[in-house]
Amino acid sequence: METIITASKLSKSYSLGVKALNEVDLSVFSGEVVVLMGPSGSGKSTLIRTFNGLENIDTGELEVLGVRLGSFATEKNILRVRKKVGMVFQQFNLFPHLSILENVTLAQIKVQKVNKEKAEAKAMNLLKKMGIVEQANKYPNQLSGGQQQRVAIVRALALEPTLMLFDEPTSALDPERIKEVLDAMRDLAKQGMTMVVVTHEIGFAREVADRVVFMDKGKIIEESDPKSFFTAAKEERSRKFLNQMMQ
Amino acid sequence: MNLLKKNNSQKDINLKHLTTSSTNSLPQKINPFNIRILTRDFFSNPLDTTLTVALIFISILGSVNILEWLIYKANWNIVTKNINLFIVGSYPKEYSWRPISWLLIILIISITTLYTNLFKSRRYLIWIIIIPLGIYLHSGGLGLKPLPTDIWGGLSLTLILTLSSGAIAFPLGILLALGKQSEITLVRFVCKIYIEVIRSLPLIAVLFFGQLLIPLFLPMEVEINRVSRAVLAFAIFAASYIAEDIRGGLQAIPKTQCEAAEALGLSKRQIFFQILLPQSIRTALPSLTNQAIGLLQNTSLMAILGLVELLGISRSLLANPEFIGLYLETYVWLAFIYWIICSIMSLLAKKLENELRINQAKE
Amino acid sequence: MFFSKKLILQFFSTIFITLVFFILLNNLIINLFRTDMMFDLGWLNQPSGFALSENSLPYNPTNSYLWTLLVGLSNSLKVIFFGLILSTIIGVIAGASRFSSNKLIRILSSYYVIVIRQIPLLLQLLFWYFVAFLNLSNTPLSILGNILTISNQGVRLLGIDISVEFSALLIGLTIFTGASIAEVVRGGINSVSIGQWEAFRSLGIKDSLGMKRIVIPQALPAILPGLTSQYLNLAKNSTLAIAVGYPDIYAISDTTITQTGRAIEGFTILLIIFLILNLIISFAMEVLNKIILSKVYKY
Repeated sequence: METIITASKLSKSYSLGVKALNEVDLSVFSGEVVVLMGPSGSGKSTLIRTFNGLENIDTGELEVLGVRLGSFATEKNILRVRKKVGMVFQQFNLFPHLSILENVTLAQIKVQKVNKEKAEAKAMNLLKKMGIVEQANKYPNQLSGGQQQRVAIVRALALEPTLMLFDEPTSALDPERIKEVLDAMRDLAKQGMTMVVVTHEIGFAREVADRVVFMDKGKIIEESDPKSFFTAAKEERSRKFLNQMMQ
Repeated sequence: MNLLKKNNSQKDINLKHLTTSSTNSLPQKINPFNIRILTRDFFSNPLDTTLTVALIFISILGSVNILEWLIYKANWNIVTKNINLFIVGSYPKEYSWRPISWLLIILIISITTLYTNLFKSRRYLIWIIIIPLGIYLHSGGLGLKPLPTDIWGGLSLTLILTLSSGAIAFPLGILLALGKQSEITLVRFVCKIYIEVIRSLPLIAVLFFGQLLIPLFLPMEVEINRVSRAVLAFAIFAASYIAEDIRGGLQAIPKTQCEAAEALGLSKRQIFFQILLPQSIRTALPSLTNQAIGLLQNTSLMAILGLVELLGISRSLLANPEFIGLYLETYVWLAFIYWIICSIMSLLAKKLENELRINQAKE
Repeated sequence: MFFSKKLILQFFSTIFITLVFFILLNNLIINLFRTDMMFDLGWLNQPSGFALSENSLPYNPTNSYLWTLLVGLSNSLKVIFFGLILSTIIGVIAGASRFSSNKLIRILSSYYVIVIRQIPLLLQLLFWYFVAFLNLSNTPLSILGNILTISNQGVRLLGIDISVEFSALLIGLTIFTGASIAEVVRGGINSVSIGQWEAFRSLGIKDSLGMKRIVIPQALPAILPGLTSQYLNLAKNSTLAIAVGYPDIYAISDTTITQTGRAIEGFTILLIIFLILNLIISFAMEVLNKIILSKVYKY
């Protein structure tokens, strides 16, 4: 199996000596869905952001899609990675001054240098698959949260990424809107997309994940398949966290 | 202002956290001369490298030239021979201890305010007393020999102008802001017109017409000297800007504050003076600081209108054949003095801001 | 109570304000009467009799005071117009440079703002005039072939002669206002959420492009009001022209009043001119604001 991400001994601290990441080792293989869980401040968001260079690390080795993103990564390397890695954020982060269609085509046209007609055709196709094609000419704040998040997924997919990163994609959604986004992610997983997902959705993790990684205080505490993690977690801290989540 | 800016630039750098190109990690862990970080910050791509090299080259060349000029080429006689004039203007020598001791008192109080906790509770009072004390020391009377305002000058005149016009403008500005929200139509109208008219005029025009027109509006018998006219004109001008800053602060206060205060049974006056005004001043403090620094810098305009404050005294010195052509030396020296005073003012403002914030936290 | 408290307050404050107003007016009339200077605009038709060092409209000293003032206004508008354009360019560049990936550029642009704002504008104008320009040699210095030549006699750009006074004033105003605009731009850019930066970066879009297409358009609504007040400041500050001897509207009013002694009338004219100038700038910016907002936010 092809390795997509290899991280060894990743460390990063913010000021005041708080360690966001503390010697993290992790590998992600092609076609795998890895779910990162953990209490807030555990470093899971920091970790996922290092995978496309939004955060840089202090020490350790990181290789994403064969490109080195160590503590010293050149702008060129980071751009190379970002072109092949899609990311979806908690707050959607659509561009509010661009229409849905422009949101999806901007990077295709400017980064991939695809011509406008081709980019738009591709965008419409993806929006159709996602069931939001009739929103194409609207603006982000005319859409519901769930619709916006699906646009954000389409925006990332339009660049045909090899790896998709999801940073708490459903945390900012109304409860009744969560399902539509999780369904879209489920479909994506079925198509064999390699995914790293930070989420608190236990149902999703149990059903879709190939592996659950539990983090606390910047360290990986436990790594196991979802079934054993949710029924019989090995570590005390994981069990405690799960208990709190279930309540 | 300096410190405010530092704070802001910290924010920019925080924003850069997300980039590939910033040093945002632990300082104690990472050597700042780490070649990797240097590369990331200065040479991340060919364009960056070219820019960095060019800028470093220009900076070094510039610094060498400036240093060479400062140390070898500049003729500092105009400063060293006239240091007295720069500080107290043509104030007679045997009395110059009066303005000088006033300046020293301001310096000492600034330092104690900044770095110690002495007289903490009475600090505001001390700062207010400084102004009448300065006027008394300069003009004399009550045991000191009276001296006319036209011999005042230099740094001490600059500070007299700044402090006294500020002391008038601040309460006047608050009154105007209050008046602009008054329920009485005429009051609201008058305040609004005042603020709009003054804000649309250039300061130099206000000062010039202040010199010409203020006497016209006063009874014939009243004589008003040039310095007082200037102070009044500055105050009239600054008050309209302060009023807008305070109004901005008032608008930033959530409505719930007013409702909460009303629910507690406070009277309108109590609500304004106890709840709204302190909060709005706190919010407006950064812009009020800018106004204060602006006021100090703008006192230089009086040089055009014939007062011999810092810039005015320099202009008359430059007209002296002994020092003719020493423009650059004079301007660099003046810039240095203004820079120091501005820095002290921003430090004081920063201190005040911190104290207000602590009080707020206590509340 | 028969009368409400508010009514009584209203009554007394009206009386008070009227009283103050009349006392001031009364003093004014007495003083004007005493000096035989009652309000009169007839002098505007008399020839001004003074020479101007430069004029944007045709002028000679036999022209009336009214025409002289108009020439001054046109001189003012000229320096304001070019000042607006140049300071906007400098301000946007310096403000956006605060977000450059090159740390040296970030440092330099922040020092530009700090240094310029700690020194009085008047001092800066005197520097540009007496040190930068009048210190130049008599023989013209050519830059970029013959496109730009500079000497202490003036600047020649593409065959157009520009006076030393105008150049010094324009450069001083531009650099001073540019620093303030840089702060406005920086504040506007900071108001755009960090998520927007992360979003375009994670799409592989470079910072320079993202700044242009994503950040600046969203920062504009926060930038424009600040820009308006900086433009108004520039217009007002242009009156410091008198310090470098450029005949702008204020300098000419000053001379006119000194010659005629007509302070009240001169003040009124200057006040009206600046009220109109302010209105024009504010109105133009409001229209621009509307156009840009409707272009940026089409919904």
